[in-house]
Amino acid sequence: MRLKDRYRFIRQNIKKNRARTFMTILATAMGCAFLIVLASVGYGLQQSVVKETLEDQVVTEVQVYGKESAEGYDSITVADIDKLEKLDHVKAVTRRTQLRQMPNYTLDEYKSEAMAVSAHYPSEIASGLELSDGRLPEKANEVVVGYHFSDTLVIDSEDVVYDEETGYPEEQFRYKGELIGQTILMTVKQDEEGNVTEEIPLTVVGIIEKPGREWMQDRDVYISQEVFKQIETFTGTAGGGIVYDSEEIETGHLQVFDQVNVYADNLEEVQGIVDTLNEEKYATYSVVSEMKQINTLFTIAKAGLILVGTIALIIASIGIYNTMTMAVTERAPDIGIMKAIGANPKTIKQIFLLESTYIGIIGAIIGTIVAYATSVVVNIGLPMILEIAFEEEMPEGLQFSSIPLSLVIIAVAICLIVTILSGMRPAKRATQIDVLKAMRREI
Amino acid sequence: MIQIKNLSHHFELGKKGRKTILPVLKDINMEVRRGEIVSVVGKSGSGKSTLLNLISGFIRPTEGEIWMEGQIVSDLSEAKFADFRLKHIGFIFQSFQLIPSMTAYQNIELPLILKGEEEKKRKEIVVRMMENVGLRDFQDHYPSELSGGQQQRVSIARALVLEPTLILADEPTGSLDSETESEILEIIQKLNQELGITFLIITHDEEVAQIGDRTISIRDGRIMEGANAV
Repeated sequence: MRLKDRYRFIRQNIKKNRARTFMTILATAMGCAFLIVLASVGYGLQQSVVKETLEDQVVTEVQVYGKESAEGYDSITVADIDKLEKLDHVKAVTRRTQLRQMPNYTLDEYKSEAMAVSAHYPSEIASGLELSDGRLPEKANEVVVGYHFSDTLVIDSEDVVYDEETGYPEEQFRYKGELIGQTILMTVKQDEEGNVTEEIPLTVVGIIEKPGREWMQDRDVYISQEVFKQIETFTGTAGGGIVYDSEEIETGHLQVFDQVNVYADNLEEVQGIVDTLNEEKYATYSVVSEMKQINTLFTIAKAGLILVGTIALIIASIGIYNTMTMAVTERAPDIGIMKAIGANPKTIKQIFLLESTYIGIIGAIIGTIVAYATSVVVNIGLPMILEIAFEEEMPEGLQFSSIPLSLVIIAVAICLIVTILSGMRPAKRATQIDVLKAMRREI
Repeated sequence: MIQIKNLSHHFELGKKGRKTILPVLKDINMEVRRGEIVSVVGKSGSGKSTLLNLISGFIRPTEGEIWMEGQIVSDLSEAKFADFRLKHIGFIFQSFQLIPSMTAYQNIELPLILKGEEEKKRKEIVVRMMENVGLRDFQDHYPSELSGGQQQRVSIARALVLEPTLILADEPTGSLDSETESEILEIIQKLNQELGITFLIITHDEEVAQIGDRTISIRDGRIMEGANAV
């Protein structure tokens, strides 16, 4: 029997009991929609959490905090940097060291206090450091400054009014001019009282891109390693710290880094680099490792939701079982005639299995459409309702429900498996119908 | 064509533990040759319908063998017997056994669909068959819209579409008036003479039995002495 003819048979049979078949399809569609919508909440929340975590973080970045030793954790040294740079799939190793004192900066009548950070520009460029304006330094006395550095430049006057809430100087006292190309005078102290100071002129050549998060402030001045060493030589201390006691002055010290980031050349290699670093006893953090944990957690949650959704489909399958059993009973005389004239039991079984599959497919299609519509409504409506109910603003871009193609495939597959299974027994019963009893209308 | 050797059959009646054995056929030996019309006659309850059901493969014999087309069919599985029926046997039933939800055309087409024939070829065969049995104008009628004689013609057309070598007819005129009965018997004789189709007809009607080349009488599950069974 040809597939086309089987399909024609099924359509004829379904036509005979339109209302009953429609209700069964409806139950299947509702079960399928319930499964998809339920699991879509897991997918949606995962997407929101992942988006939140990944936002403004470089996914190929591995932060290295130090190296485990007998005494605890050692800072990262030049030797460590060399080692890190030689690892496979490492694109760049950025290292920054913070000056151990807060220098003063002067620009015309404006003054500022901001942290100075020594950066290794070749590796910063390789890691993909972006500027909002200007260029990267090329000479030793050239610097780039943080996006919010200009906010710290305030008129040198006792009349400056500070905002009570933020503690920052009010707008009119801040520097408004162009920073690029300006020379700022950095003053570093050797002792606590500031009896011995040194002034280093620095030319601002670039401004670093604004930090991704609204609450983050970047007010640092990024000085070259040469200037950093000049300050170290002036103070005679490691990191250019202020001398509190003349006896503490060191003549030779080991250069260490406060902030070391390793960048992988692609996302797939990050976990491998993290594993290698951990084996080498480096303390690391990478968003990929965090993602792995988040994803594991959500995978468990999603599996649970799909399982609960499947129960709805199993309930719907009882309807399919009932419909198919009724269909077999009603069509027993026809089945008897077909068997008598030579229909193979396998063909009879396939017709009924195809019929339950047909119900499953139509149900799954309708269910998927309903689920998509529900998902759209939930994503638009729920934040509005929650905002009204709790008088709290929901995070921007928060997604309650998301239906990826994989979820649709999983739901349709479960739907089909459940419907086929529920049609198995009635289909088998159809093959077992006694020809003589059926033709005598005794079934 | 058909060879029946030492065929016996009994039914088990009653529930478990209190079953009674009802012997229906006892040591039947008979043969139907190719191109013959053989009538099997007997009173109600004589076992003639059971004999036909055994030959059809609807039930399996308790003892003995049934040979058809050179092979033992009594041992075939249900699926294989179904294929054998579709390929070699046509059926004419007393109560026509047409599917009520299908038109005359669709009922005749059914064996061709089961065989997997192409739609174009199916149409050609069905139209020809309907013309042969004089039902060309009734192709879209449902069985309930046809007379008994017309329904039996549809049934005959359905039995013929796959060009079987054997047609088993169970009281083919049992539900028809005498005029229609004569028409149906004429069709059977014509098919036998023109196409050489073998007929095994179960009947209790003497007039029907007379169209056969041989008549086999069954009484109390046995072929009667002197019956021309072979």
